[in-house]
Amino acid sequence: MFDFLIEGFSVALTPLNLGLAFLGALLGTLFGALPGIGPINGIAILMPLAYTLGLPAESALILLAGIYTGAEYGGRMSSILLNVPGDAGAVMTTLDGHPLAKKGLAGPALGLSAVSSFVGATIAILGLTLFAPLLARVAVMFGPAEFFALMVFAFSSMAVMMGKDPIKTAIGAVLGVMIAMIGVDSATGVMRYTFGMPELFDGVDFVVMIIGLFAISEILLMLEHASRPDDDGKLPPLGRVFVSTKELLLCKGTMLRSGLLGFIIGVLPGTGASVAGAVSYTTEKRLNDKHGTFGKGDMRGLAAPEAANNASAAGSFVPMLTLGIPGSGTTAVLLGALMLYNITPGPTMFSDNPEVAGGLIASLYIGNLVLLALNLPLAGVFARVLTIPRWVLVPAIAVLSFVGVYQLHSDLAAIYLMLIIGIVGYLLRKLGFSLAPIILGYVLGGLMEDNLRRALAISGGDVGILWQSGISLFLWIAAAALLVLPWLLPKLMAGRKTGTA
Amino acid sequence: MSISTSQAADRCLGIALIVLAAFCAAHALSLNVPFSYDPVGPKAFPLGLSVLLGVLSLVLIFRPGLNGHWPDGRLALKLCAVLAMLLIYALLFSRLGYAISSCIVITLLARLFSASWRQAIITGVLMALGSYWLFTHGLDITLPSGTWLS
Repeated sequence: MFDFLIEGFSVALTPLNLGLAFLGALLGTLFGALPGIGPINGIAILMPLAYTLGLPAESALILLAGIYTGAEYGGRMSSILLNVPGDAGAVMTTLDGHPLAKKGLAGPALGLSAVSSFVGATIAILGLTLFAPLLARVAVMFGPAEFFALMVFAFSSMAVMMGKDPIKTAIGAVLGVMIAMIGVDSATGVMRYTFGMPELFDGVDFVVMIIGLFAISEILLMLEHASRPDDDGKLPPLGRVFVSTKELLLCKGTMLRSGLLGFIIGVLPGTGASVAGAVSYTTEKRLNDKHGTFGKGDMRGLAAPEAANNASAAGSFVPMLTLGIPGSGTTAVLLGALMLYNITPGPTMFSDNPEVAGGLIASLYIGNLVLLALNLPLAGVFARVLTIPRWVLVPAIAVLSFVGVYQLHSDLAAIYLMLIIGIVGYLLRKLGFSLAPIILGYVLGGLMEDNLRRALAISGGDVGILWQSGISLFLWIAAAALLVLPWLLPKLMAGRKTGTA
Repeated sequence: MSISTSQAADRCLGIALIVLAAFCAAHALSLNVPFSYDPVGPKAFPLGLSVLLGVLSLVLIFRPGLNGHWPDGRLALKLCAVLAMLLIYALLFSRLGYAISSCIVITLLARLFSASWRQAIITGVLMALGSYWLFTHGLDITLPSGTWLS
């Protein structure tokens, strides 16, 4: 059953793909380390340029996955050194990481986070190797009705787990699905929401969407960060660069537990690194915080979210590769990238495109080693990236965004659309929305409608087909439980309390 | 930023989204397919989404949440300036060509992000020429050479 992995390694070990995995890891770490640019922005900005290289699908995916995992590594730098999380997933890293840096232990903190990232990612990649083919075997039995139910489940788990405000998460997802409706309806040829503009007949282009939503809105947000008084852009001294064996041994239990936890959370569709970091941190705090050191620079408080972050990054590949349902905003972007190559990830990918699925998994093993090797000795060099002034960074993002969109069709309309999406994205972020549900809705929306219509075409319009099979019934119940429980549980608990009092 | 203005922002958003939902629903209803084997058709899914969006927006209006800090006057002005810069870039992109328009816009953007004129001009010239070389020779992207210049 591991034939795909052997084939994968033979793909990933070709000089081109090995080079791309290395390049991706390096670029990803650099982009992730840039202040304010998280993994998802990094991929959004670099993806269109990766296209222009004219790579085959598996090579492009290896490059992008390298960037993804690299950016998760790089994202910790601004959290630890500047107390500025690069994205939602790195928020927990600041809690103990920055106090450590203030104590003069910035170097060991960076080393420890590199090692715990490596441990977490390794656990998750092993889990991915074992678990993905099994899940793919189950998923082969999925018909359109089951896929529709699965997407409903994914959206409800996202609404509950992602972000502070479930209503806004849900609205974001619906808006994303609505944007996916724009363009010609493939089943009937009817134009929907195009307003007679030929540029919209093919829908809103994926690249335009992610660059507008992430890169352009980021430029606008950076203006505010730049004028914040507490941000002087000065780095604390790194101190000794290597983490000692004693410190590592102190954290080994934390790393293993958090890695496992992160993987499981990553596998759940819709819940990504931010949830994994938060859950593992609170778990470790409950288990280990006997002297009240968490939050004041405890090594274990740094190791937990870092291991969980990277584990969930690899774990979110499981639903993406086997079901075609991304486990996080970033894997949604990767899924969209694969669709541009006319590969729809799903249960048949392990049999139809083993070079893509296996190559990706194999490259994750290689990339993980490369990242550890790059990050331990070069932490000081990468940390320099943080001191790049915004007046260099912002124009560079603007140039990369414009060229990335322009090279698609040599078309200015796409650039204007990108700017409009960017402004909307900025306003939504200001209103407390997170962008991941929007991009997940956008990527899944078309698939969701397709599966619904295919299911109903099979049944001749009978809605009952949607919950006829055991799998889909289970998914509907699970989705309903997810939506109702967080609202019901506190009430039940409160009811019991008043009952006993 | 007080809680009440934050809630007002959410209520405005809720109303705007209900208008959007109504508009989407109206557009979906106007889609007509003379004949199709597809029992669902192009209408149902957007219609369902509009209803869902409408319901969620109603919840938002009655239970508004918290949102971020809105920029004050000076920052809002700068924000508009950055947006104007991006728009100018889009307008000049194919007319003046990549290298010249990038050089101008990079310089001005760097100024907006508080670089000195010297730093801004050096950044503009180096980044415009360097990226032009990288994109055309390294990545084989065809960039506009400028309709006004030819």
